[in-house]
Amino acid sequence: MQTAAIQTTGLTRRFGELTAVDNVSFSVAPGQFFGFLGPNGAGKSTTIKMLTGLLEPSAGAIEILGHPFGANALELKRQIGVVPEGMALLGRLTAPEYLRFVGRMYGLDRAITNQRTDELLEFMQLANESRKLVTDFSHGMQKKLALAAAVIHAPKILFLDEPFEGVDAIAAGMLKAMLQGMIQRGATIFLTTHVLEIVERLCSHVAIISQGRLVANGSLEELRAGVASGLPGVQQEQRLTLEEIFLSIVGAGGMEPAQELSWLA
Amino acid sequence: MAGVAEAVAVERIRGGVFSRLARSQYAALAGMRWSMFRHGMRSTKGAVEAAARIVILLVYSFIGLGLAAGFGGGAYAAASHGHWELMPLFLWVLFFMWQVVPVSLASFQQQFDLGGVLRFPVGFGVFYLLHLIFGLVDVSTIMGGFCCLGLLVGITVARLGAFGWAALSLGVFAAFNILLVRAIFAWIDRWLAQRRTREILSAVFLVLLLSMNFLNPALRGNTNRPWLNAKSRDAGDRYLRIANRVQRWLPAGLAARVLRSGVSANPGDAAESLALLGIYGLAVGGVLGFRLGGEYRGENLGDAPGRKKVEKRSRQWLLDGAGPIAAEMEKELRTILRALPLLYGMGAPLIMVFVFSGVFRSKGTTNLSQLPLGLLLCLAYAMVGFTQLLYNNLGTEGAGIQILFLSPTPIRTVLLAKNLFHALLFAIDAVLVCVISSLRYGAVDLVALAAIVSWLLFAMPVHLAAGNAFSIVMPYRVNMGRISRQRGSQSNALLSLAVQLGVLGIGGGILAACAFFNRLWLAVPVFLVLAAAAIFAWLRLLPRFETMASARRDDLIATLVKAE
Repeated sequence: MQTAAIQTTGLTRRFGELTAVDNVSFSVAPGQFFGFLGPNGAGKSTTIKMLTGLLEPSAGAIEILGHPFGANALELKRQIGVVPEGMALLGRLTAPEYLRFVGRMYGLDRAITNQRTDELLEFMQLANESRKLVTDFSHGMQKKLALAAAVIHAPKILFLDEPFEGVDAIAAGMLKAMLQGMIQRGATIFLTTHVLEIVERLCSHVAIISQGRLVANGSLEELRAGVASGLPGVQQEQRLTLEEIFLSIVGAGGMEPAQELSWLA
Repeated sequence: MAGVAEAVAVERIRGGVFSRLARSQYAALAGMRWSMFRHGMRSTKGAVEAAARIVILLVYSFIGLGLAAGFGGGAYAAASHGHWELMPLFLWVLFFMWQVVPVSLASFQQQFDLGGVLRFPVGFGVFYLLHLIFGLVDVSTIMGGFCCLGLLVGITVARLGAFGWAALSLGVFAAFNILLVRAIFAWIDRWLAQRRTREILSAVFLVLLLSMNFLNPALRGNTNRPWLNAKSRDAGDRYLRIANRVQRWLPAGLAARVLRSGVSANPGDAAESLALLGIYGLAVGGVLGFRLGGEYRGENLGDAPGRKKVEKRSRQWLLDGAGPIAAEMEKELRTILRALPLLYGMGAPLIMVFVFSGVFRSKGTTNLSQLPLGLLLCLAYAMVGFTQLLYNNLGTEGAGIQILFLSPTPIRTVLLAKNLFHALLFAIDAVLVCVISSLRYGAVDLVALAAIVSWLLFAMPVHLAAGNAFSIVMPYRVNMGRISRQRGSQSNALLSLAVQLGVLGIGGGILAACAFFNRLWLAVPVFLVLAAAAIFAWLRLLPRFETMASARRDDLIATLVKAE
């Protein structure tokens, strides 16, 4: 039996009275491109923070590559790369300085750090901006830099929180190709995004979280079949889009757009 | 074993504080700080920042050297005359200074938030050590370090043979203080981060302030009070003896005991006291470690209010009025009520006012020539707590600054609303200062009070106008969940301090001159004339700030919104 790259059991996080993540259990196999979806405030970023050791769970267990996180935090942090919600860049550094800083924080040799920095900047088309401070980068450039920083130490698992937000179509295509290449070489990617088309195109497995609870988990085909069987008038063979699946599972929040905000032009 | 997954082998990492990984991380952090400093010099603003940082460091160092000379002189006198019983006094003063100064000067310090390094494979020992290293550049540590050095030099010059024990005692005492001040800040940040603990801390803080004021009448040094008879004096002496016995077992007392026993050829007692002092240090280090451990494990300090609560709150309106000034004032009120660091900054100087005001008593009776100056100093000190609010009045906006530029409300209206609200807050603080001072002095003389109020009418618009300019030119983002580890603008801090000293100097000069010629009442019209000019200038400058803010819009947004 293959060890799961990521395994959570009863994962829960409470903030005072609010349970942001409630008893969430799932497993991500190695080499899987896993989409983690949910409406705003559903608990996606909280889950990623717990999975990457930035937030302590209130209850439940996390295993990364078969190791519990708490006892092996140092080793496991070296195996994972993260593009966090706020990107966590240092604005007053240049891109090469930032990448070299991150590389050395992961304990890479100076020579390897320098070599990978140059390659990543070239790949991300940031090499010409090497004298510019990160704070002066556009949002898309910052996203590319954050992604470069997340992979500089060649992680086995990559956590991406909205990596394509603000990235232009050309850069997005390039990043997708890079991520698919990583998957082919055996890496595992855990992706959260609101762009469902990207998930549909890239991810083999999807989990959906709503109000802190896991409401769906499986391959896209499994989700399609599950939703189709529960919807009246939908044939099993009908190919539902991920958006239809998502809306069917999570719902539109009970809002009827036509009835709301009628004063708007 | 079939069916059971085996863990993927991962390379073991030696995460000790001197491991290869740790050394690489120290080098990376040092390089990162150096690069940030170097890039800061690229722009004029950055160069001014760097210059301000150097000036501030020099100022603190000079103050530290002055204090060190004082402590050294005192220690020399005590040691050379064999008055070792005075040593606890020096060490207790140093202890309180070490712990109180950082809170009072929180607005003037730039600190680095180490929370960001936790996404890397950083060992706990490394995280702990980094906290201590970055804490070494705190004002309190610079000043305290100098004072310890002064004491060591003073004692050694007086008694060369005492050097060894003095070095040991003061070294451990310094380490204890460094750990304690870091632990206090770490815990305060923890308590401020969550609503419930924040409210408890606010209540404790308020009770502390009130109780100090209730203590005032009891502490007034009027020896002619009928109730202070021989019997009560005996009781006082008894309590003092008990306090003395207790303090011998506390850190400052233990450090003094090490010195005394060391020079009295009683190495056993000295070693025992040193060991106890070390245990205090370890205990405080443990308390700090416990707190940092929570942060290291990923304990979240932020508030995440329940969904229902958010809905309930959004319907509340504290101020009536639909205009933008009322809206802005309400927003300021809500922001400040939810940002205890700001409230703390405003309230903490009141404790020091209580202490300062005692200095201006003369043998238990109010010296009228000193009273207005004393009150002036107390108010100026209270103003220090408002520095962040007045001189960085856009700092709490964060990304919301964009709304100010997008809305049809002119920036001058926003600034006016902020100014009026902050002036109102300071007026409340000023009344509290007057009440505290009155309890210390007795009733405040009406002429002196009128002079001080007139000075305030002059000082406030000056601060508001200068504050508006600094807020636009030298803004910095305020983290409302923390007292320590704030990113600040050193040039803003330095120049705002210079303006405050200037305003205080003008007030003090005029009051002193009027008091010297026994015409204190004359200060009132002089200040009123200055106040009229200042108010006129402030109102005239408001439209200019509009232009200034528009011209610097990109920079403002970049500073308050973009990556750290």
